[in-house]
Amino acid sequence: MDRADRPFVRSRRLGAIAFVIVGIFTVLSVRLWDLQVVNGARYRALAEQNRVLRVPVPPERGSIVDRNGLPLAQNQPGFAVSVIPFDLPRAREDEVASRLAVYLERDAAKVKAAIVTQRGTNPYEPVKLNDRPLPRDTALLLVERADLYPGVRVSSDAVRTYTSGPLYSPILGYVGPINDEELEARRDLGYYLQDTVGKTGIEWQYEQYLRGTYGWREVERDASLRELRTLALIPPKPGNEVVLTIDDRLQKLLNEELERGVIEDRFTQAVGIAMDPQTGQILAMVSIPAYDNNAFIGGVSTDQMRSWNADDRRPLVNKAIGDIYPPGSTFKLVTGLSALATGAATRSTVVNVTSNVLRVDGWPFFDWRVHGRLDFVNGFAHSSDIYFYTLGGGNPATGQRGAGPDALAKYGRMLGFGEPTGIDLPGEAGGIMPDPLWKLTRFNEPWTLGNTYHASIGQGFVAVTPLQLLNAYASVANGGTVYEPRLLKEVRAPDGTVVHTQEPVVARKLDVAPEHLRLIREAARRVVTIRHAYMPNAKLPIAGKTGTAEFGLSKGVDAAGKQKLGFHNWFVSFVPKEDNADPTAEMAMVIFTFDSSRSVCNTCYNPAVALTQKVLERYYFDDAQQASAP
Amino acid sequence: MSVRPIAIAQAGSPLTDRPTARRLLELDWFLLLATVLLIAYGVVMGYSITVEDRTFTGDIGQQVLRSILYAVIGLSVMAIVAFVDHSWLGTFAPLFFLGTLALLAIVLVIGTSTLGATRWVTIAGFKFQPSEFAKVFMVIVLAKWFADRDVRSPFALLGALAILAAPVALVFKQPDLGTSLVFLGMFFGMAFVAGARLWHLATIVAVGIAASPILWTMLKDYQRARLTIFMDPYSDPQGAGWNIIQSLIAVGSGQMTGKGLTAGTQSPLGYLPIAESDFVFSGLAEDLGFVGALILFALYIVLLLSALRIAHRSRDAFGTYLAGGVAAMLIFQIVVNVGMAISLMPVTGIPLPFISQGGSSLISICFALGALQAISMRREVGPSTQT
Repeated sequence: MDRADRPFVRSRRLGAIAFVIVGIFTVLSVRLWDLQVVNGARYRALAEQNRVLRVPVPPERGSIVDRNGLPLAQNQPGFAVSVIPFDLPRAREDEVASRLAVYLERDAAKVKAAIVTQRGTNPYEPVKLNDRPLPRDTALLLVERADLYPGVRVSSDAVRTYTSGPLYSPILGYVGPINDEELEARRDLGYYLQDTVGKTGIEWQYEQYLRGTYGWREVERDASLRELRTLALIPPKPGNEVVLTIDDRLQKLLNEELERGVIEDRFTQAVGIAMDPQTGQILAMVSIPAYDNNAFIGGVSTDQMRSWNADDRRPLVNKAIGDIYPPGSTFKLVTGLSALATGAATRSTVVNVTSNVLRVDGWPFFDWRVHGRLDFVNGFAHSSDIYFYTLGGGNPATGQRGAGPDALAKYGRMLGFGEPTGIDLPGEAGGIMPDPLWKLTRFNEPWTLGNTYHASIGQGFVAVTPLQLLNAYASVANGGTVYEPRLLKEVRAPDGTVVHTQEPVVARKLDVAPEHLRLIREAARRVVTIRHAYMPNAKLPIAGKTGTAEFGLSKGVDAAGKQKLGFHNWFVSFVPKEDNADPTAEMAMVIFTFDSSRSVCNTCYNPAVALTQKVLERYYFDDAQQASAP
Repeated sequence: MSVRPIAIAQAGSPLTDRPTARRLLELDWFLLLATVLLIAYGVVMGYSITVEDRTFTGDIGQQVLRSILYAVIGLSVMAIVAFVDHSWLGTFAPLFFLGTLALLAIVLVIGTSTLGATRWVTIAGFKFQPSEFAKVFMVIVLAKWFADRDVRSPFALLGALAILAAPVALVFKQPDLGTSLVFLGMFFGMAFVAGARLWHLATIVAVGIAASPILWTMLKDYQRARLTIFMDPYSDPQGAGWNIIQSLIAVGSGQMTGKGLTAGTQSPLGYLPIAESDFVFSGLAEDLGFVGALILFALYIVLLLSALRIAHRSRDAFGTYLAGGVAAMLIFQIVVNVGMAISLMPVTGIPLPFISQGGSSLISICFALGALQAISMRREVGPSTQT
């Protein structure tokens, strides 16, 4: 070997590396000597202490109450059965699973699968095996024969209970076992595989307040892994109480009246929402038919889920916010306000309705009767379609100018149509506020005067959620403020202190003159006083607007076997304090009835009007007296 | 004018240097013995830790068969590579470079994620970890680069860093901080062996330290916590420090002779995360004690010093740098993995050569050791040593 031929070999550097290698292993060995020989006994003792098991203790979920503290969702005590796979010998898995399955009223294979899955993920973490809480005697039985059930733990367990099932399910939603996606997204927030999480509704929206914080229990175990004693307990912090703006009494009244309408076959589906127009607080929100959210606790059955999903009345959807419908004549608010704001109309704009059909380019546009001469207030009060065709699109024959489709869209959007109101609930629809650009983009067709006419009376492309409609009228009733509706009133800690108060959230101010809003309020009151919306012996100065929309099928039957009519009614209202149309209303309400009966007559019978009167009067008079005299 | 005669051996083609049978005599037997014993040690530890692991739901026999299969594949790969003249590796260095980039890019595209990192690719039912092969391939690439240039020029050094940049970035993206650092360890080791000026290397280190605040911001929170917690694991005993404390308990409780194979308790109690790879040394030290760890160290020292001897005797610069690079790669991995288990180093999950379970690590190391044997067999045996 001739080193001179190979100048690339740098012996001193290779030697240095050899020296470093020996040095490194010397350091590692010295450190190991210190750990294993000098301090070995101490670490051996610590390893023994490691037989201490840390078990997470779930917090109790916060309850949900109405504005007066009445519980709507709370936790019912019971017992839970779980298994720590680590403590259950694999050989006894089958036997224990099948024996447990009998008490749990579950399939033995499913119980075993749960244990096996948990063994694969984290065998030291208990896996909960029961769907529903166990009664006390079953729990006792399992505890007494612990030798038969290695690794099985019985603990107290609270189960979510919803006070009135379908009455509140559209608002509250439900909780359920966390799924993989949710767990992945929330792992940093301290969620566990066996956790429960809000799936929809308020339970989803305010999960952060309701959830609480996990505690820990440290358990000492002997060599055979039996628990000897609890060494330490860091108690869990219960979740906060969520106080809703809902008034349970109004919610029940509204629900009772709407339910009765369904039972008496006056309509098949219904929505009712009540709001404080001065703050945007929702006082009641009913969607019929709804579902029993108690069925979701511990896992809903596939059959039940299939039947709900197959139901064409869509019971799982909160129709107050989740479905969109043509608003019909209630939309004349938008047409009227647009015409006033753009100067296309004033209080004294007169249209002489001499025929119940307006012909433009040979196309007929109908009114529901021959009204004669109408000014703004009477046009609105009598809900003349031709009056509002003219205000919206003008009349080529007389040369009268209308607000035009872009103004309709501008003021419609200002009032909140075409986008979600921003209520604190998931699943809100945005609705459609069409304009020429929208139609061009969507259908690649130009806008026509007929489109303007249809939009002017809330037909055609226009589609709204009941909440949007209510919110728009509420903004007129309060003198021009559009609020984001809220269901949250405040959040209280378990000791009762208020940790968060929901202030009203202003979405925008209406950019219209106050006298125009006053004119609308006056016209809305006139709707009732001229008995267009018939309220016999009215005790309240209710103002409002009726609406009728025809859409959907008018043949066949729905899932409940009721005739489909394709004929639906609205009444959206507010209650001024005095009969002077001041912007002081503290109550606004919308009622929407789906597939309304036409048995009486097409136009005079709007079930939503009578329902509104009845609910409001009962709320303000009859039941209020009962409530104040316990 | 005098012309220096060219030595025939230097001018010979890689295909026609010397007959195979004579080459066999030049095998590095110390290296081979250390390799075989370390592989066997790894199979035994794999068995012990699998038996201890109560979360393991598969068939233990099958698991052992699989690690034996990896050992057989590894030894076969080593034999095949040993018989090929290592010059070919240098010739194909550009291909190895492209192959590395392709493998690492594939991981990011179709890789499987575990615990938030995308490191594995599944092909025909076998999970494999391309970054393990990438390390060996990049040793080849860097050795070729240094062999063809004067390393005392700063451009050769900076060029090598530029070559490393893409693989390091791809591995960092997975994210696999540990393997990215191994690449840098390799670079410094090889540049040192290749004769880079010390002040050049020192400048690179200084620039790295100056830039570290920027790199720090590129790390994820958990990576930062892992990098700093080893200095005082008891500052967060229930959080970031938990793993390290439990690893120390495992190692310490092994005492002088260990608790015996399959008798460890730390790993079954779930206190050693990724007990079969990242924290495998803790399990070994718990089961076999100080004695078991020293035997492992002795085998490593034999292996590493053999590699340096091969570097010293290589007939060409490429062989020297390749052998030096393999030694640097292995020592870096050993120090980081063992250092992590005994809280001398930050937590960065990289496998312990031979002992961590996993075919990719073992087979890629066998590939590298095969190349070392190839260099050994083709070394210059001068007349004086042939007697």
